[in-house]
Amino acid sequence: MSDSIVTADTKAVPPTEAPKKPGVKPAWETPKLEDVSEQVMAQPYIRFT
Amino acid sequence: MTTHRIDSFGAPLFVCWQLTRDCDLACLHCCTESAPGKRLSDELDVDEAMRLADDIARSGVPYVMLCGGEPLVVPHFFAIAEALGRAGVKLKIETNGQRLDAAIATRLARLPIRSIQVSLDGDTQEAYGRQRAGGSLAKAHDACRAIRDAGIPLEVTFAPTRLNIHEAEAVIARAREFRAFRFNSGKLMHIGTAARHWSKLAPSEAQYRQYREVLARSARILEPPLELCYVPWSIEDGLRAAMADPPATLLVLPNGWVKVAAALPGICADLRRVTIVQAWQAYREAWRNEATRAALRRAIDDESSHAQANEWQWTPVVHV
Repeated sequence: MSDSIVTADTKAVPPTEAPKKPGVKPAWETPKLEDVSEQVMAQPYIRFT
Repeated sequence: MTTHRIDSFGAPLFVCWQLTRDCDLACLHCCTESAPGKRLSDELDVDEAMRLADDIARSGVPYVMLCGGEPLVVPHFFAIAEALGRAGVKLKIETNGQRLDAAIATRLARLPIRSIQVSLDGDTQEAYGRQRAGGSLAKAHDACRAIRDAGIPLEVTFAPTRLNIHEAEAVIARAREFRAFRFNSGKLMHIGTAARHWSKLAPSEAQYRQYREVLARSARILEPPLELCYVPWSIEDGLRAAMADPPATLLVLPNGWVKVAAALPGICADLRRVTIVQAWQAYREAWRNEATRAALRRAIDDESSHAQANEWQWTPVVHV
């Protein structure tokens, strides 16, 4: 393992479940391939590493 | 509260899944610090990885990139790729091409692969081998031919350094020869192994100016067609755009942790403990978090801060 990798900060606890908003039903879209724009794929960490 | 485009999606559009830190090469410019024997002790095992693949597919994520390290050194690489592919998830694969022969290309061609990206960081073995220690340019070229012959769209990527930037134009020509549809490049990222070797790797401003001229000149060549993709040029340029419109993408690390942004150390979810949809919600909230936005501003103002990107830290999530 790389020496520079550290484990989780003990002061911050990872979420174990998503927060909920009672009574609110979000109108989310299902992601579609056609929504994956050139801009998405041009992010430096995606286009060259 | 600011509403972003990401707030309209119930799952990410794209998942970049780094399967491992193990690699069969020890590249001087590697942003993930991957190399032979660098597999993390807590990487997802085959059962955990298959559960995650199933979760990704069930969540409706349309597009996944499998990368590393080198994804083809992962024993369960094909099990993951084929599970995602059977579920209709489109795939991109990033590889150094050292192991990708005709048989592997033929097997991959049965999957819904949008592209395979091969790193060609040089057009001579001398330059390529200096930057990609242990690598064979001939094998990378053979991989490009195998991908092309299998009918899979090919992308070529080139990470410019002082060691190879003089061969950039030849690599672009090589990409055309292999009928790649895209050549990817940009400014060298100050992350990981590259950051440690920065003084001997980072091109000078004059070298970058010449390289930009090469890219502009090459873009005017229309046949055979080749898209030259080098904008946003730098990590900072990408982060500026992302602050206005955060990308609808998740970067999953080999241990199942989810990053807020590639150039930041912040982690917003652990996919051993939450689902992709829950991780997506944590990611969206992280981008609204003032601590994240302050870190993004620092990363835009100070390139040297990117060197801490692999020192992963949990980002406190503010539930709004």
